Formats: sequence, structure tokens, C-alpha cells
Amino acid sequence: MKAQQNGRGSNDAPHGCENDRLSGRLLAKFVPLNVRASETEDGMTVVPARPSEWMSPVTSQEPASAIIEINHVSQVFQTSARKDHLALSDISLTIEEGAFVSILGPSGCGKSTLLYIVGGFVSPTSGMAKIRGHAITAPGPDRGPVFQEFALFPWKTVLGNVMYGPRQQGVRTAEAEAQSRALIEMVGLKGFENFFPKELSGGMKQRVALARTLAYHPEVLLMDEPFGALDAHTRTRLQNDLLNIWERDRKTVLFVTHSVDEAVFLSDKVVMMSKSPGRIRQVIDIDLPRPRRRNELLLDPQYQKYVVDIERMFDESDEAGAPT
Amino acid sequence: MMMSPAVLTRRAAPVLACIGLLAVWQVASLALKNDSFPTAVEAVRAIPDILGDKESLTNILASLRRMAIGFGVAVLVSIPLGLLMGRSRAIAAFFNPLLMVIYPVPKAALMPIIMLWLGVGDVTKTLVIFLGVSLPVIYHSFEGAKAVEEKMLWSGAAMGLSPAQRLVRIVLPAALPEILTGCRTGLVLALITMITSEMIARQSGAGNILFNALDMGQYDTVFAMIIIVGAMGICLDAIFERVRARLVRWSEPQFDMPLSFS
Ligand SMILES: Nc1ncnc2c1ncn2[C@@H]1O[C@H](COP(=O)(O)OP(=O)(O)OP(=O)(O)O)[C@@H](O)[C@H]1O
Ligand SMILES: [Mg+2]
Repeated sequence: MKAQQNGRGSNDAPHGCENDRLSGRLLAKFVPLNVRASETEDGMTVVPARPSEWMSPVTSQEPASAIIEINHVSQVFQTSARKDHLALSDISLTIEEGAFVSILGPSGCGKSTLLYIVGGFVSPTSGMAKIRGHAITAPGPDRGPVFQEFALFPWKTVLGNVMYGPRQQGVRTAEAEAQSRALIEMVGLKGFENFFPKELSGGMKQRVALARTLAYHPEVLLMDEPFGALDAHTRTRLQNDLLNIWERDRKTVLFVTHSVDEAVFLSDKVVMMSKSPGRIRQVIDIDLPRPRRRNELLLDPQYQKYVVDIERMFDESDEAGAPT
Repeated sequence: MMMSPAVLTRRAAPVLACIGLLAVWQVASLALKNDSFPTAVEAVRAIPDILGDKESLTNILASLRRMAIGFGVAVLVSIPLGLLMGRSRAIAAFFNPLLMVIYPVPKAALMPIIMLWLGVGDVTKTLVIFLGVSLPVIYHSFEGAKAVEEKMLWSGAAMGLSPAQRLVRIVLPAALPEILTGCRTGLVLALITMITSEMIARQSGAGNILFNALDMGQYDTVFAMIIIVGAMGICLDAIFERVRARLVRWSEPQFDMPLSFS
């Protein structure tokens, strides 16, 4: 416990992450399954996102403040085939500082679009998004995207890609390189530092994209299905690594996924969206203790209930959200 | 180091092609017995005479200098213009019609007018080479810049790159393979416009030697000059290809397609 908390204060993420991962693992072994801050009957009731007092000291005791506010955002696309396409309809959402929020929804419901709006890459047709009270009008290094399409720089090696952000922020080469090498090792690509993106598999590219964004320490991570192209094993490992990083740095994460499991496993909050037009259907607080260990969580009835309930809602929304 | 049979074949192929061409030429000229068609041997024999002659050599070097300046300036101007056109609709809308007017006009056809303005000296010929090289380089830079993946630019913007930095540090490298394809076409066009410009404004240069020899019926010199110009083309292209392959190693296809002749 102590080790975990000590590790969190530091900002140089890549250093010592191996240790933290180990301590996370050891830690998990000694936390009995039944240690739980609040065993609610109904998992769906709105409870504070992180009730377990032994996990919250980082953000101190003060109530979490909103870092991102999305106010009545709508997005209309002019399509070549149809006239206007309402991709997002009146989305309002508040994301608290340090929260891990997943966006879950069927393909084409506007998850990526919403992420682009928060990133400042796309300006919404109406409404606005804010970060720390300031309107988002452009991208910035405070928000780090990990795109569904990776978007690596093909002329840079793996190391060159990961170092790009820190170098741009003015970190000295030697330092940027050391940090980047540690990150590359963390995402399991040690030995591939000098490979070009074309020489990597899809899953490897995705891991480079993740490392490249983590490298410049954005306050908010905007991740668009970052584990979509990975095999089950790597996916699990990276989920754990992401959780470790998150538990240490308490970055705010906005995480798009198709996978209900993944959303419940990782998140404080799951935002369920429905399709045509893209709307928020429900926001579910996930009240499971942290640190979370996958093999333990899978056996946890409360976790299972979340997954089953959300899947059921998904089926309903499929029926309800069919295009008319 | 041992070379595999495949590599050996690939290295030997161009040499074999040249020898084959000369052999066919030799046989054809012997069969035709035409005064204006010297044998390959006669033509090759004339090469040392040309290269040994101080005046001819000065002429050829003057040609190469004009070509280098015309090509260099064209590349330096065209790449930024093409990239800007590819990333800004307004700039593209302004320049596209202008370029469309110039594109189909043979640059040599503009020469008489340019000669009226600027005389028959180096400036005119270099300008014609510049025009010949510019268009393919602009076009390919434009296409390359247009095709740059949007998310790559977004990633750069999120890291804090300004629009100008994105143009130089993302659009330029991402479009480089396409730009270099344009430059390679431009290099061949530079050689063509170099010779044609010297044919129209005969005053100095490799084209001048060639067409003077033609007027005087020195056909072995004519064919020797054709070989020299051809060899220059092959060498420049080979050097350029070396440089290109180095610069865009990261983008070359991974696998050789069987039965492809690339
Ligand atoms: N640039 C665009 N022009 C026109 N329509 C667009 C554009 N981008 C997205 N759309 C439309 O907006 C809707 C939402 O797209 P978006 O990519 O946000 O979906 P998504 O939820 O991320 O889907 P997926 O899970 O498959 O990635 C889709 O119906 C898509 O057709
Ligand atoms: Mg998407």
C-alpha cells in the first residue's frame, strides 16, 4: 500500500514503472476479496466514483472537481449520400479530474467524434466543450489522443515516434530518450526501438501509439479503442499497465471501447451511448475497489452484475436504436 | 562477400541490356549501309574525341551547370508551393488554374518568347529548365501533401506543433516519397529541356554540339553525343535513385511481388 502511494507523487512516469507493476501485483495478492468500502445491493445506484478511502489520498479529501465539461454538444455532418447526418445529439457530460471514464456504444454512434471534440480536432456544430472552464477551440498537449488508426509517423522509428512529443516540449534529447526507452519497454516492445512502423504488426503499432502519447504526459488521455487490435493476452497486460499508470498519476482518462468487460474493469464511470442519433443513454458509476486485478474481478459477483446489466441495456438499445 | 544468383542477375541486367542494344545497333547499321547511320563502333570511337576536346567539354559542363541550377531552384520553389497547395484549399484554388494553363504547353515552345525578353543566354535556358522541372514537382508535392493522414497532423497538433511546424515536420516527411517521385520525373525533364533549349538557342551546350554536328553531316559525332547525353541521364537517375531509396527506406514496400518488374 505504502509503496503504491509513494510512487504516485512523482511525475516521471516511465521510471520505476516496472517496480510499481510488481508492487501492484504483490499488493493485489494481499488484498482480500471481501475488502470493500460499500457493498450496495444495486450496483446501478449512483455512488461516489471512488469510495474506497485507501485509494483516494492522492486527490486528497477535497471533492473531485470537473476537468472536462461537455455542454449540449451536437454534431451534424454533411454527407455525400444523405443530406445531413446528426452524429451527436445534445451530449452533456462532466468528467471529474482524475476519473477514468469509458464511452461504450455501438459502432457509428459517435464515440470517436465526441473524443475529437474534446481533443479540439473537430469543433461541434452546436454546444461546447470546456477544459478547466476554458472553451476547447484547438488541440493542445494537455489532451493526449491515442487514435483508433494509430497515426504513427512512418518516417520515424519506434523510438523516434515516442520521443517526438517530449522533444517538442523541450525535454533534452538524452532525457527524452531514457524516458521513451522505459515506456517502450513498458508496452512490451523492448528490442524494437529501431524498427519502422511498417515493420510492426497492428497490435505493436497500437502499443507504440499508446507509448507515444504517454511520453508527453498529457493531463487528459483520450483513447479511442486503444486495445482493439490486440490479442487477449497483450490486451490484459496493457489494461493492467494502464491501470497502474493511472493509479499512480491519476490522469483523467476518456476511453472509448466496444468491450463491456473492459469498460467495467477499467472505469469509474461508464457512459453508454445509443445510435442514430448519437445520444447518452445512461451513465453508470462503477463502484469496485481499486487496485483492480482482473483474475479476482472476474470472480467477483458485483463485477459480473455490472457486466450483465450493461450488456442487457446494450441489447435493449439495439432494439430501440434501430434506424427508422 | 558472395552475391546470391538473384542479386547477381539484377546487377548484371543493365549491363547486358546496354551490350545488347549496341550489338543490335551494330548489326542494323552494317546491314543498312546508310551514311547517316554510323555503326556503334564508329559512334563509340568518337566519344573520346568529344570528351578530349576542351571546347566540347566546356560546352557540356555549361549544360550541366544550367541544368543543376534550373533543377535546384525549381525543386526549392516547387516543393513548398505544392505542399501549401495540398494543405490549403484557397492556395490550391489560386494556383491550380495557372498551372493548368502552363502544364500542357511544351516548355520549349515558350522559348522564342522568353528569348525575346531575356536574350539567348544562360538565363533563358535555365528558366526553361526551371519551368520544365517545376510542374511535375509541384504536382507530386501537391498530391503527396493532400494524401497526408489527418490523424497524423492531429497527433502533431496535440504535441504542440504550430501549423508551420506541421507543414515542415509532418507534411513534408510524410509526402516525401511522392515528392521524390516528382523530382525524379523532373530530373529527366531537366535533361530533355536542357537539350531542346540548346537546340533552339544555339550558342553553347551539349545540344549545340549535337545539332551543329548534324548540320555538318558528322553523324558519328551526332550519335556519340546521343550516347553521352543518354549516359548522363542514366548516371543522374541512378545517383538520384540511390539518394531517394536512402531517404524513404521507411516507406518502401515490405515484400517483392512475384513477377513484378520493379
Ligand atoms: N467526417 C465525417 N463526415 C461525415 N460523416 C461522418 C464523419 N465522421 C463521422 N461521421 C459519421 O458520424 C457517425 C459517428 O462516427 P464515429 O466515427 O464517431 O463513430 P464511432 O462510434 O467511433 O464508431 P466505431 O465504433 O465504429 O469507431 C457515423 O455515422 C459516421 O458515418
Ligand atoms: Mg470510432
